[in-house]
Amino acid sequence: MGMNDLEDFRESVGESGPVAVVGGRTHWTVGGNPTDDTRLVSAPVGIDSFDPSEMTVSVKAGTTLKDLNEELSRYRQEVCLEGSSETTVGGALMIGTDGIRRNLIGSVRETLLQAEYVDAKGKLIKAGGPTVKNVTGYDLCRLLVGSLGTLGLVGRVILRTRPQSEKSVWLQGGLQPEEARHVCFQPSSLLWNGKETFIQLEGYGIDVDSEVLKLKNLGYEEMGTKCPISIPRFRHKFVNGMCLDGGIVDVYSSILYKSTEAAEPQHSNEVVRLGNKVRTMFDPSGRLNPGRDPYRAGP
Amino acid sequence: MNTSLNLDKDHLTACISCGLCLPHCPTYQVTQDESRSPRGRISLMRGVENGLMPLSKEVVESMDTCVQCLGCETACPSGVQYGELIAQTREVLSDHRKVSFRLRVGLWILLHMRVLLVGSRVLAVLQRLRLVPTKALPVPSRIPLRGGRYVEHDDPEVILFTGCVMDVWLSQVHEAALSVLDSIGIRYMISGNQSGCCGALHSHAGFRSTAKNQALQVISALPTDLPILVDSAGCGAVLKEYGSLLGTQEAKFFSSRVYDIHEWLINDSKWQESLPPRRLGSRKVIVQDPCHLRHVQKAHGSVRELLTPFVDCLELDDEGLCCGAGGAFSVDQPELAKEIRDEKLKSIQRAGGHLVVSANPGCMIHLESAGVEILHPIQVVAEYIGGRDDHE
Amino acid sequence: MNRSRQGDQLFRELCRDIGADRVHRDGASQLLYSRDGSAFPGGIPGVVCFPETTQHVVDCIKAANRHDRSFVPRGAGTGLAGGAVPCDAPLVISTTKMNSILEVNYEKRFAWVEPGVVNLDLTKSLTGTGFHFAPDPSSQQSCTIGGNVANNSGGPHCLAYGVTNAHILAIEVVLPDGTLVELGDVDGHASGYDLRGVFVGGEGTLGIATRIAVKLTPDPPEICTLLLDFMDVADAAKTVSAIIASGIVPAAIEMMDKRIVNVVEEFVKVGYPTDAAAVLIIEVDGLPKGVKIEVERIQSISLEHGARSVRVASSDEEREQIWKGRKSAFGAVAQIQPGYYLHDTVIPRTKLVEVLEAVYEIANRYELIVMNVFHAGDGNLHPLLVFDPQVPGIMERVLAAGEEIVQVSLDAGGVLSGEHGIGLEKKRFMEKLFSEEDLAAQKLLKDAFDPDGRANPFKVLPSGASCGEVNHLNQLPDGAWV
Ligand SMILES: Cc1cc2nc3c(=O)[nH]c(=O)nc-3n(C[C@H](O)[C@H](O)[C@H](O)COP(=O)(O)OP(=O)(O)OC[C@H]3O[C@@H](n4cnc5c(N)ncnc54)[C@H](O)[C@@H]3O)c2cc1C
Ligand SMILES: Cc1cc2nc3c(=O)[nH]c(=O)nc-3n(C[C@H](O)[C@H](O)[C@H](O)COP(=O)(O)OP(=O)(O)OC[C@H]3O[C@@H](n4cnc5c(N)ncnc54)[C@H](O)[C@@H]3O)c2cc1C
Ligand code: SF4
Ligand code: SF4
Repeated sequence: MGMNDLEDFRESVGESGPVAVVGGRTHWTVGGNPTDDTRLVSAPVGIDSFDPSEMTVSVKAGTTLKDLNEELSRYRQEVCLEGSSETTVGGALMIGTDGIRRNLIGSVRETLLQAEYVDAKGKLIKAGGPTVKNVTGYDLCRLLVGSLGTLGLVGRVILRTRPQSEKSVWLQGGLQPEEARHVCFQPSSLLWNGKETFIQLEGYGIDVDSEVLKLKNLGYEEMGTKCPISIPRFRHKFVNGMCLDGGIVDVYSSILYKSTEAAEPQHSNEVVRLGNKVRTMFDPSGRLNPGRDPYRAGP
Repeated sequence: MNTSLNLDKDHLTACISCGLCLPHCPTYQVTQDESRSPRGRISLMRGVENGLMPLSKEVVESMDTCVQCLGCETACPSGVQYGELIAQTREVLSDHRKVSFRLRVGLWILLHMRVLLVGSRVLAVLQRLRLVPTKALPVPSRIPLRGGRYVEHDDPEVILFTGCVMDVWLSQVHEAALSVLDSIGIRYMISGNQSGCCGALHSHAGFRSTAKNQALQVISALPTDLPILVDSAGCGAVLKEYGSLLGTQEAKFFSSRVYDIHEWLINDSKWQESLPPRRLGSRKVIVQDPCHLRHVQKAHGSVRELLTPFVDCLELDDEGLCCGAGGAFSVDQPELAKEIRDEKLKSIQRAGGHLVVSANPGCMIHLESAGVEILHPIQVVAEYIGGRDDHE
Repeated sequence: MNRSRQGDQLFRELCRDIGADRVHRDGASQLLYSRDGSAFPGGIPGVVCFPETTQHVVDCIKAANRHDRSFVPRGAGTGLAGGAVPCDAPLVISTTKMNSILEVNYEKRFAWVEPGVVNLDLTKSLTGTGFHFAPDPSSQQSCTIGGNVANNSGGPHCLAYGVTNAHILAIEVVLPDGTLVELGDVDGHASGYDLRGVFVGGEGTLGIATRIAVKLTPDPPEICTLLLDFMDVADAAKTVSAIIASGIVPAAIEMMDKRIVNVVEEFVKVGYPTDAAAVLIIEVDGLPKGVKIEVERIQSISLEHGARSVRVASSDEEREQIWKGRKSAFGAVAQIQPGYYLHDTVIPRTKLVEVLEAVYEIANRYELIVMNVFHAGDGNLHPLLVFDPQVPGIMERVLAAGEEIVQVSLDAGGVLSGEHGIGLEKKRFMEKLFSEEDLAAQKLLKDAFDPDGRANPFKVLPSGASCGEVNHLNQLPDGAWV
């Protein structure tokens, strides 16, 4: 599967008719299903250029995260996107949710530097810029992340990369979140299952070792490099005192991961009205991903 | 009406409007209004000079509300000579009779020691009879019933400048200074009544010709080549500026003899020899820098150096922001002065609310009238090593 | 109704709605609120308003709408692109009196502040709590958080920590039609479109921020500051690229060339080596052992690339001194010549050597002095052309040289602005970077927020019309930066 050319991609999107990009289909129903008459196209695939000393990578949106990370890890770098083996770069950006390592590696929103997308009129538009710092004009990249493909269909992006940590380790122990959050300087993840906390530490080996020692003195046990618990799929907003109901809390971002779907999030009318105005401006005929609504997606 | 301010064009163009001075300006801090900021005042001066702005009521207010603390000059990385600009502007404005009546009367009194003495006695008596509120007036809460009486040496090594208001209202500061000199064996004389007022307040209000007259009077009253020690930061600043004010050799020589008393003491060998071997206690004292010491004389470090053998010096967190006293400012702009002082009081509270020291009588009076426990640094030093015990 | 009668009516309504002492329209205020830090000439404000509450801001905007007037938000007026300069007699809405820190939540690591809070005041108020607000523009002692948000400001430490956008969780905004919305949320993951993300960097053209939730960043346990000096600018530039290429992202990498080092040293006297061709200030922070490893690596990389010496700050005071020099650099430049013109382009950091060489060459060719002091770690150049505006014909040379510098940066794969924004000053270059369609897409966003074009008009996007009574570029006022 897959085209390698932006121009082909633009043509496949065309100038009219309902259309959506299908990625790895792993989060296909987020924000609602596309209408039946929606034509599905794929984004082009391939890594265009990776300059490790620039810490940016130019990659086509249909590339899987797995392929991208394979290439990046040859230079001990990574991008701040997470997913399974089918996940595409475009899909991860369009869903736009942050992972449990946000505390250390930052938000998906900070990752997208430049995007080339096909707009509702079938034109190829460039948003943002290739450099790691940029305030030239309105930053449409911000708008694209998390937009579920409703504002434009993304063909190619430039992403910020980051150095992989020298060492990464998970620990499990009995401190409650309020206490656990103060023990280490900057854990990459801090999870809580209602009884115990799970802490992921990353950094230089010798720093990690001394932090591990601190935690072991508090009764923590080392659990290896893989997350010791499985994280359920659906994200709920977590508020102190809430019943976990078998879920897992990401303490730093107040997200409760559960296996049941969350209720539709609440938004103020003013915000939804403004968001919909943006959508109508970008897609007056409503042909991009009809049926999906970012305001119906979870946190 | 002639609306040129005759300002130095280079001084005006040196300001690049970067705004880095804003947080160091007390009037901007309390108003958050550009017309009360250094950058704004310079822009208005420029506007008037370029003929874009008439000398309107708003322009005059903008200039009148400047405390002339020169916090902006210290902060400005471009080296804008704001002090020169505002002094010149105020001089032109004073010619246009735009100075308040209240201030004019006050300034006139300073030049007339007898009136000042008599008036103060009356006030002192009224205070003691509780006929006037002590907190409402910009005067010390307890004016001494007599002016300072000092024993001088026949063969003096230094002169202590005693000025006007301070000699009348805060003579205990001079007494403390002299007792410190006594204790380390320095022979002194005082400038006394014949030299009188230094003209600082007049100079600030834009009455440069009066200030020049006072300068001539002071210089001729103190003709020796002895060092002149000053325990009022405001007076010291002006005495040091006589050289550039008058431009004569004589005035320049005079100014070169002037020292802030702290500055002089720390460099004096007798002082250094008589220093106590170690810190005597852990009493905490908050150092409040008078603008004339910090931004004009830049001698504020010496206060700390002088005090540290005796007490723990605590700093305020406002980076030397003015307290709002500003010479005659607290008389001329009472509301603004009070708002600025409120900021200072908060900063003093944040520093722990201990005893405050300030090396300028104006600041002492201004802060004391808000209930702050305050002394002159030399009074604190005198408590530890003073030759005589002068405290009530 | 003619404009001035209409203006009287607007003025009366504003006085009624927010209080007469909060509404100024005297000549002095009009002059003072016609400029920002760029002293970029535009028009003058119709009225200057000093709201103290969100409701005041709503009232101001509604009054403006009733009279079909535009409005310009303004913070401390330190912007360098003319963003707060009024065009077409608008309401200038100064947020400086909205300067309270409303709530600080250490557990969830955020603080709600009003837009007029000064950047450094927020940081100072957090001293001792173990947290700080990471964006630290060199103007931080004066500029407001609202201005930082609007310009998506950067600073030396944004290399590792990210620019303002990464530190803003939620914003309460009064939209150009007077509606109040809250964009984003304090947990940092509101669903729906990331309107918070686009509002940051919107340069006041999308509405007025009236409350801002900022992220609090934990203070690093260990900080180490290095001062490196080089006999060749190219060696310094190569060192920067090599450090990044080695996988280290220091908290900050700043570069100053010989001329600027000499000016700054004259002013702050912190012991910069004045004979060096360039110095780098590098700061590394984090856990102590990692900091030590990185310092050692940086030392050896820089020595390999021709560093003459590496000084490691041994105390907090020394560290502060080193930074004080850097932060005073812009202002100190004015001691040489009263005028300066500066660009803010960003280039790929691997292209530093060639672009810097080109910048020097351009300045030489136009017989101008150029000084370089910039955020080398992210390739954000600040070439300062220093000049005396009184010299006849100099503005033409300065502008032509500036344009060439922009072109060289774009040719190297760079962008127009890294942190100062587009404002009035750089919009004439926007077409060099974006196609007509790209710009039309950006306009869609603006139109969604502000269909009537009332919020800070004539900024950011190039348009046929120019700023109201805008002067020509080469007629600079006294002491102006462009
Ligand atoms: C901590 C964390 C862990 C995660 N772990 C996993 C995991 O284990 N497994 C997993 O599958 N996901 C995981 N995710 C989610 C993941 O990041 C992606 O969101 C997801 O995989 C979507 O990718 P996809 O290619 O399958 O998109 P799809 O499901 O195919 O599409 C998602 C949406 O994006 C649109 N879209 C896709 N590509 C484009 C494009 N190029 N242009 C425009 N619109 C487009 C689609 O139309 C659709 O609306 C995780 C996320 C987080 C935060
Ligand atoms: C000496 C100096 C050094 C500088 N160093 C840096 C630096 O290191 N990094 C950097 O990024 N910048 C720097 N700047 C530029 C400037 O300080 C920043 O852009 C700053 O963020 C502007 O803040 P301000 O409060 O002065 O905003 P202003 O100049 O008043 O306004 C800037 C823009 O923000 C808009 N705005 C202001 N408040 C609001 C609000 N509440 N809601 C919506 N819009 C608003 C205005 O309309 C305008 O477009 C420097 C400037 C100077 C003079
Ligand atoms: S006086 Fe100095 S600090 Fe203030 S705006 Fe002018 S140049 Fe900047
Ligand atoms: S002298 Fe003081 S009050 Fe006057 S402008 Fe400067 S800082 Fe402000």
